[in-house]
Amino acid sequence: MDFYYGMAQLIGVHTLLGLSAYIVLLTGQVSMAQAAFFAIGAYTAGMLTVLAGWHIVPALGASSILGAATACAVGFPALRVKGLMLVIATLAFGEGVRLFFFNFDYQIAKGNIKVGPLGGEGFRQIRYFPENGWTTFDVMLFIWLFALAAMAVLWWFDRSRYGAVLRAVGEDELAAQSVGVNLTAVKVSAMTVGGAIAGVGGGLYAHYTTHIEHSSFNVLVATFAIAYPIVGGLSNVFGTLAAVIFVQAFLVEGLRDLGDWRNLLFGALIVLAMNLRPHGLFGRRHA
Amino acid sequence: MLDFLQVVVDGLLFGATYALIGIGFTLVFGVMHKINMTYAAASIGGAYLGLLVLKVMAGAPAWLVFLCGFLGGGALGYVVYLACFHFIPYSSPLATLMSTVGMLLLIDEIIVHATEGRPLNYPAMFDDVMLRAGEFSLRGDLLLVFGVSVACMAGLLVLLYRTKLGLATRAVSQQPTAAQLCGIRIARVNAVTFVITGLLGGIAGALIGASVGTLSPLLTLPLTVKGLIVTVIGGLGNVPGAIIAGLLVGAFENVFQLWRGVTERDLYVMLLLFVFLVFRPGGLSSKN
Amino acid sequence: MKKIALAVAAAFAAAAGTGSDALAQEKTVRISGFGAKTGVIRLFGINSEAAMLAAAEVINKQGGVTLADGSKAKIVVDFLDDRCNAEEGISVIRRIYGSDAAVAVGPTCSNVAEPLYGILQKRVDDKGDSGLQMPVFTDVAIKGGLAKISEWSFRNVPSEWTMYSSLYYWLKTKHPNLKTVYGGVEEDFAHSRASWYAVMKDRALANGYEVMGESKWLLNDSNFSTQVREMKKANADILSVAAHPFTTCGLLKEMKRQGYKPKLLVGLTSTSSMEVMQGCPKDVEGMIIPTSYAPVNKEAKFAADQTAKYKGSADLHSMAAWENMFILKQVMESERISGDKSQLQADRRKIRDGLAKLKETKGLLGVTKRTEDREADKPYLFVQAQKGEWKVLHNPL
Repeated sequence: MDFYYGMAQLIGVHTLLGLSAYIVLLTGQVSMAQAAFFAIGAYTAGMLTVLAGWHIVPALGASSILGAATACAVGFPALRVKGLMLVIATLAFGEGVRLFFFNFDYQIAKGNIKVGPLGGEGFRQIRYFPENGWTTFDVMLFIWLFALAAMAVLWWFDRSRYGAVLRAVGEDELAAQSVGVNLTAVKVSAMTVGGAIAGVGGGLYAHYTTHIEHSSFNVLVATFAIAYPIVGGLSNVFGTLAAVIFVQAFLVEGLRDLGDWRNLLFGALIVLAMNLRPHGLFGRRHA
Repeated sequence: MLDFLQVVVDGLLFGATYALIGIGFTLVFGVMHKINMTYAAASIGGAYLGLLVLKVMAGAPAWLVFLCGFLGGGALGYVVYLACFHFIPYSSPLATLMSTVGMLLLIDEIIVHATEGRPLNYPAMFDDVMLRAGEFSLRGDLLLVFGVSVACMAGLLVLLYRTKLGLATRAVSQQPTAAQLCGIRIARVNAVTFVITGLLGGIAGALIGASVGTLSPLLTLPLTVKGLIVTVIGGLGNVPGAIIAGLLVGAFENVFQLWRGVTERDLYVMLLLFVFLVFRPGGLSSKN
Repeated sequence: MKKIALAVAAAFAAAAGTGSDALAQEKTVRISGFGAKTGVIRLFGINSEAAMLAAAEVINKQGGVTLADGSKAKIVVDFLDDRCNAEEGISVIRRIYGSDAAVAVGPTCSNVAEPLYGILQKRVDDKGDSGLQMPVFTDVAIKGGLAKISEWSFRNVPSEWTMYSSLYYWLKTKHPNLKTVYGGVEEDFAHSRASWYAVMKDRALANGYEVMGESKWLLNDSNFSTQVREMKKANADILSVAAHPFTTCGLLKEMKRQGYKPKLLVGLTSTSSMEVMQGCPKDVEGMIIPTSYAPVNKEAKFAADQTAKYKGSADLHSMAAWENMFILKQVMESERISGDKSQLQADRRKIRDGLAKLKETKGLLGVTKRTEDREADKPYLFVQAQKGEWKVLHNPL
């Protein structure tokens, strides 16, 4: 059972990562920076629980706020670039954040050992969950609390005017602008919400793996972040969830018995999926 | 001072490899307007295909391996076109983006499978040639890479601006519907341009393998990132710009490394990119 | 193909009703290996699996493991791929925990080991700690100081500190005219980094060498012009490189281009493998590396031959997996595990306790001492790259 709870934890965290890219994708922006906000959330939450002894919930709150703030700051200059340039700019930002953590040392002594992030060596022993006796099941429920909350919020957005405005901007900026939509507010707010979600996801990631380092937040993670909503389809949040389950539960774990072939099928199936269903598993919204 | 200049020269020369891969990137992204994330992986894949020559003929000369890489790259270019661009409708740029990502993972994995993850020795031409210019030493093989970049650039410009195919390519990328109305067969034009950029990628991969001396799938991701950076700094679609940008990035990289060490080097390269994005989004030769 | 053939054969056997009493009652003890079997570092997993399968075959031919009630059980080995990814490694160990495996052997990657040990229970019998209670006996992941993270984690990897200490000492006595050392280090790979700063540099200084500095690069780098110029300038007698095959080869080729050849080359433990020989056989000529395995005696050769039958090659990493299997058999017998699936967790605890009690184990090169923090102090020797092969240069044993 432990294994299944662990899988559920992983799916929950990856769903948060995917959802953070989902909302930004709705506005037509392909952001490769979500892994950066994820990283910021991870280090923040880890440092707060390990170095400052905080409880996990306020730590996650802080990582969410920091993720949102950084995303907001990125959102403004991101307005100036479109399409491919935005992809490259956010990719560069993501790499920049990763390199920052690669060089980031902040250790304090606890007892006779030093704890905290140590540049290239990473940040080890983020053991809030096991130290406080949380079982795998408890952690799973906790993670899903946040994942479901994020899904609920985004679902509610989709049903509200805000969601319609987001998608309008994504479909046709010029038309949206001409009916009075404030592009800046829409795009930056979407980026901010995405950053908040990624921040929480990152904080949870740090705690359920107990060890993070700069390479845990590389280009591949950033790519997975946008892959989930693209493969799942942008019509609703369940697409992203479905894509996470497809990739992590089916492709990664389900195909495990195929040994060598698993990795090959991974890339091949993504290519196939995109050819067969270019608008994602759950397709496009038909409004 | 002399040291600093040597570092700059070393960087410029290594930048020739970025220039060569950058030309293909800028062509694919800027002229064809295709987001092809597979490009560097397919180029390295082409280089690997070049090594097959050595399996057949043990002591084959380096240029034959490069030629094979050149052709291998072209073949891969066509495969990428079929898998990622031919069937996916124009209206789904996200789908093509993701399929090229899937293709990148697939190509990398095929390489790892075939080579068992081991780095392979790559033959080189002129790699033992070190030219001395006074106090400076210059790598002969990188000068060859630079020469090839310039030759490719010349060839491409001729192709794009003086041939029917080039005209068709530009037409298709600017106005696909109008081009179709003029009787241009989009699928054929796209396929051919992918093969051509693939050929270019193949020679780039082979020469990069030769410059590094060892071929490994570890090269793919950094080359992809560098290629994208060079494309932006040089200007989307600007082939001569890509060459200059490649050299510049190579030089700056080395200078940053000298100045702030290897762990912060790439951070500054990213900052350089941001400077361009903010102040000169059109790249080096933008009209802004 | 093999798996499908086996499955079909098993189905036929079951259908044909050949379930003889002996077969139905055959007891088994499962040892699950795990590590990276795909990706650039797939050879580690492939070799470890081969070594484990080979060792199991030998143990089973000799009768298997004696259980507490005197009966014998066969060892069954399976191997899971974690793709050198932390999250997947954690999923894998949870999967192993949920299976009937008595103990896990792995991982191959240090970046998986660290998080994985982190989710294990830190101290046994700590009721407040909900960490996983699964004994993990690592064969390959070599980054220093990891086993002390949890009382359920044990390692059988060589102590680089001891080996380089001895190497520099030996070099000093054999080549007293060489006095200076310069380093080359992969800064973004935890193992390489720790190996240069905490081990090679430290031990060189301790043995009276003057360390003139180090040049740095990153694990994906391919341009070493600046670094080689720095090395040329320092012009140290010995160049000590803490990097993996890809960048080591790149560095050596640049050295050849710039015409720089130090008097002596020292390499990183894990570089003493076939990959370097395929990447740059001519350039690595003369490099000296300390290692905890070479086929220098009958047992070591036997282990290598058996592993080759399963398509794996023998090196310090895979041979640690081989040794682990025999150590585990010994521990299982001395702790008298029941082999009864209903007592699985008790058996796991016994194996853990048994491993913790060990003061020394039998290795292929000789006796290995076990340390207080669950690491190993393995016998070693020095090899040198000669004409495309790693030949034994000096055997301190």
